[in-house]
Amino acid sequence: MSVPKKMASSAIAFMLAISFALVGCTSNNNNNSNSGGGSEATNELGLIEEGKLICGSDCDYPPFIWLDESGKPVGFEVELMEAIAHDMGLELVYLEPQNFDSLPTVVAGGGKMDLAVSSMTITDVRLETINFCIPYYDSNQAVVTLVDSPYTSIDDLAELTVGAQAGTTGYDWAVENLPNATIKTFNQTSEGMAALRAGEIEALFFDEPVAIEHVSTGYTDCQVMQVIPTGEQYGFAVSKDNPALEAAVNESLQRLIDNGTYAEIFSRYFDFEPTIK
Amino acid sequence: MTNNFRHQKVPGSSWGLPGICLWQKKPNNTEELSHEKQPQNAINRVLVCLALAVLLLATLPPSAWALTTERASARPNDSSQKLVIGGRPTRITWVGNVAENEEVTSITLMFPVGCSLTDDTYVKVQEMIMDDPMHPQRNDPAYSIELDSTHLYLQFETPIQPNNQLYIEIFNFCLPELTGEYFITGSYTDGPGRSHDLSAQQNPIVVVAMTRTQKLVDAIGEWEWVQSWNSVMFLRVFFNPAWFVASIPVLFKGWLISLLLVTLGFPLAIPIGLGFSFMRMSKFRVLRGIASVWVNFIRGTPLFLQIYIAFFGLPLLGVRIGNYPLAVLVLAMNSSAYLAEIFRAGIQSINKGQFEAASSLGMTGFQTMFSVIIPQTIRRVIPTMTSEFILLYKDTSLLSAVGVMEQMMYAKALANTTANLTPYVVSACFYLIITLPLTRVISVFEKRLAASEGRAEPPEDTKAGRIRLGRSDQDSDKSTASLQARRSDAGESAAAQTLSQGTGLRESND
Repeated sequence: MSVPKKMASSAIAFMLAISFALVGCTSNNNNNSNSGGGSEATNELGLIEEGKLICGSDCDYPPFIWLDESGKPVGFEVELMEAIAHDMGLELVYLEPQNFDSLPTVVAGGGKMDLAVSSMTITDVRLETINFCIPYYDSNQAVVTLVDSPYTSIDDLAELTVGAQAGTTGYDWAVENLPNATIKTFNQTSEGMAALRAGEIEALFFDEPVAIEHVSTGYTDCQVMQVIPTGEQYGFAVSKDNPALEAAVNESLQRLIDNGTYAEIFSRYFDFEPTIK
Repeated sequence: MTNNFRHQKVPGSSWGLPGICLWQKKPNNTEELSHEKQPQNAINRVLVCLALAVLLLATLPPSAWALTTERASARPNDSSQKLVIGGRPTRITWVGNVAENEEVTSITLMFPVGCSLTDDTYVKVQEMIMDDPMHPQRNDPAYSIELDSTHLYLQFETPIQPNNQLYIEIFNFCLPELTGEYFITGSYTDGPGRSHDLSAQQNPIVVVAMTRTQKLVDAIGEWEWVQSWNSVMFLRVFFNPAWFVASIPVLFKGWLISLLLVTLGFPLAIPIGLGFSFMRMSKFRVLRGIASVWVNFIRGTPLFLQIYIAFFGLPLLGVRIGNYPLAVLVLAMNSSAYLAEIFRAGIQSINKGQFEAASSLGMTGFQTMFSVIIPQTIRRVIPTMTSEFILLYKDTSLLSAVGVMEQMMYAKALANTTANLTPYVVSACFYLIITLPLTRVISVFEKRLAASEGRAEPPEDTKAGRIRLGRSDQDSDKSTASLQARRSDAGESAAAQTLSQGTGLRESND
């Protein structure tokens, strides 16, 4: 009987040690930034690695981002980020695909990515943990069903099983508006689309531009049942502790919007005029 | 956010259609003046009213629908992210569609009695331009606003245009504290300045009174030590006390489901596994071949992949099985391959002399197997089987990727909406509730096994055994290592080797 007791007490000791260590770390950091704020001129943007802009994404959201045959991220967001990084004189680095739902926590925690660039809608809830740069895309929600689906309106879905990507505004929308439906979550939108095809779910909720791209390219057996106007806007997520980077990215993005580079990149991916000004 | 703009019309006083207001008010106004000419007046009045009614009938139907309520909803604000609790800040969304050829110049939303504002209440208004229904575009209209706990009044500088959608969000707004179904009513003025009632929303906003869990969660969040604890990022994100408590009831449901899946799947795997182990040891090459293909395929591929194939592949072949039965089946199939190897190793670890002794007594192969060999095997394989059970139980978490509502799925959903990873830690604790006692069971069984094999262990050996057991607490797979050590004493290392390889391969897969 003494073994579990010992284990329990050592586990508690371990936890305490960790928490003390962390308290120590954070207070040290605070001291550093308080005393030597001006001396950090070498890396005034607070980048994780000097000279590099490290971005994280789920890398599965065409036309914004997807992986090409060689596993390299491509898409509207990637080109836009490349332009911004070039403008800021930094090298753009994309991390391996991340789980979308973990992005806000990772950005807030710091130390892994400078920006989360993943078609992330600016919401009041997310703003509690992270900051956003100025919006770079106007989006809406969409409901995708199979072409031969008997359902024609959102009311038809009220009691059914539907899906959404974990941590997305599509999930939030479904939870709020379909309280009697069963809502399944997926790590990637493509997993949700596979589940839709397999009949696991009757409809999938995600962002309008991606829904339209999916049904017109790979998933021709699926259709956009309805677009739900929500007027949401995408922004690059940045840590609250890093206002310098946020300001620098904002300035750079605004410059690209003003000088037409943004519109030029936009026109390569969308057949309508950009609404961001 | 509120602004001093005052509007001529007091909301709520004259919501009726204009025609109806006339009908009610005119008699009062004219009563005294035209007292003598009452009969004539009465006829006149009826005529006027009739004419008005006809006019109304002709003009109202289209204009009555100038703005129809699309929906009104409230964001769930409880700790399980499913319920709307009254008296706690939430976000109200009201959406209405402007009809063809109509405009909306102002709107009043009337809130149910008992609503309240917070210090941070603010309103966001968007006009969604619906020229292309597949690609609505947003426009931020200029407006003046009046907001209190009873109503929201918006006067637009430029009218909301025909066909467009009006999208109003009220953040940090509290609904009534009483359980009930609530509706947002109101009125609007159209282009020509006529006022109309809003059509009723289809689905009510369902509000529940404060729950006990939520009260507890809120109370914990206010404690002083919790607040200083939460000031450390790591602790706040992984060990947030309030979210810890909030996660328990939600994850409990998922925990039961995971447990059910594995308690159904594992017993199903035992006969299948036994069957395959016999096939593996069969004299017939075909049976041996089939069994070894199956066992090697299952053990040589990740369970994750098998789940994908079963859940996404089978339906495309026209095989439609419910989610939960399919989950049980996949778990059983997967486990059967590992169990087949465990059983085979167990059977082969029985001394060959026993087979020979049994047949010399005139027993058939079948009799030997079921009354001599298997009873001895069961005792020997129970520890390994238990670790297989633990592995399978932990592997149920993989099912969340294909949308089976099990523990991990609940944790994921909770972590999503809260942007906090504490639910995962709680989930880990729930897994430990099952796995820790079971690892203990393994060590007890192993001790008994050692004792019953007829070897009184010397004191030092017991000590060594405990160290080995201690290790097996950390990783149940290693329990086979101690089994192997004992077996080698008895000169049966070859079979034990197979046994440990059986589980060793699994380890590398995971």
